Amino acid sequence: MTLLEAVLALRRGEVSSAELTAAALAAIERLNPATNAMQLITADAARAEARAADEARARGEGGGALQGIPGAFKDLFYTKGVRTTGGSQLFASHVPDHDATVVARVRAAGGVLIGKTGMHELAYGITSSNPHFGAVRNPWDRDRIPGGSSGGSGAAVAAGMVFMAMGSDTGGSIRIPASFCGVVGLKPTYGRVSRYGAMPLGFSLDHIGPLTRSVRDAGAVLNVIAGHDPLDDSSSRRPIENYVPDPEPSIRGLRIGLAENFYFERLDPEVDVAVRAALRTAESHGAEIVLLRVPDIAAINTVARTILLGEASAALEPYLDQRDQIGADVLALLDQGRLIPATDYINAQRLRRVMQREFAALWKRVDCLITPTTPATAPRIGETTTTIAGENEDVRLAATRMVRGINLLGLPAVSIPCGSDRRGLPIGLQIIGQPFAEAQILRVAQVLLPAEVPVPQL
Amino acid sequence: MQKDWKKIAKANGLAISGEGLDRIAQTLDGLEQSFRPLVRALGPETDPAPVFRAALEDAE
Repeated sequence: MTLLEAVLALRRGEVSSAELTAAALAAIERLNPATNAMQLITADAARAEARAADEARARGEGGGALQGIPGAFKDLFYTKGVRTTGGSQLFASHVPDHDATVVARVRAAGGVLIGKTGMHELAYGITSSNPHFGAVRNPWDRDRIPGGSSGGSGAAVAAGMVFMAMGSDTGGSIRIPASFCGVVGLKPTYGRVSRYGAMPLGFSLDHIGPLTRSVRDAGAVLNVIAGHDPLDDSSSRRPIENYVPDPEPSIRGLRIGLAENFYFERLDPEVDVAVRAALRTAESHGAEIVLLRVPDIAAINTVARTILLGEASAALEPYLDQRDQIGADVLALLDQGRLIPATDYINAQRLRRVMQREFAALWKRVDCLITPTTPATAPRIGETTTTIAGENEDVRLAATRMVRGINLLGLPAVSIPCGSDRRGLPIGLQIIGQPFAEAQILRVAQVLLPAEVPVPQL
Repeated sequence: MQKDWKKIAKANGLAISGEGLDRIAQTLDGLEQSFRPLVRALGPETDPAPVFRAALEDAE
């Protein structure tokens, strides 16, 4: 059952929020020992919220878009009265006194908070193998990572524990788990969704968005969380629209870019085949596939890495003397950031302007781009290097290769599954759009993924 | 020009072990190799994007 199907069932009185919440809690009890997707479960509060949602509905009140729907949040979103750790020992006993804006908006829409999802420590990595809270495991193969840093959100949605889990994405942290876990992961345009109350990693690179089991569900959640927030300086005043695509939308005449360079280089052959097959599907629905060269994505990634190193170390500087409280991989990145001179950070922000202009020229030729999300499927837990198309590559750099640069450009992008490899592991593709074109990329996504994603048997 | 990351770390008062510093230096050397040529090509007329806007018309 998808989120929107559950909303409909609730409205028709076919099911209650109490029943949906009980089912979610039962699924978590059964599946969480195998996946460690949920880091904190707020069962009693969730039952109470569900009862309140049902009572409001019975009184003819509370017609919020997510009324009575259980969902989870990555454990870096502030939740009033509920521990928020950022996956870090540094914040192990941190209990916020207010909700993040996205949490508040989901609550205002009637959503039921069922718990907090596991993540890579401080959102600074892609494995979600957390030294303090344990490794999150991929529901499709528990010996493999779910991706990260929103790995718990990806695994919880993929396993069927919740209809929706919120994630954050600084260099691919929504789209990588979506790709590895076989779910939909939407990173909206920078400024479309408030960052207020989300623990920062890279101020100018952090994006907030949902992971769901259908494209329409992602649009439904974006409808709730998008829009200006005076508490976030980077929040856009652009009007929001309806982001839920029609069940069978038209993409006739839409120009979809197929990159001749970068995105189809050093790929697992099975990923290449699956993404190209999806492009043919789009073409069969009337889209025009336009072959083109994209700007230097490797250079864009370099600039994004430089900015992130500086911003993350700046954000976390007050805690960096507590070295024994930070895992080795994250500490190494934070140390690197402390060695980046201010001139490099500023020049990286200048290069960002240049790259933004270069990329903007692309939109004269195409409406969106389709690329692989990750060059290969999920690696094994503990692997630090991987071999893709015969070349050895650092696991983190490989996983972020196709996605990191899009954070620098602030563009909206959605990852959807587009098949499986020979081991049955999900393959993801990424649709990248123009600024604030979330509705358009979700229309393309809906054409390519018109149904709910499959849920693995655990 | 190759940067001496160990001296930079020491000057910044970072207590990083020798082996850890070797790994960090190797990573930063790699980043430096790809970053420095980009900076050299940057003209003086380009401002940074300290408050970033995804749409150009909002940024200017």
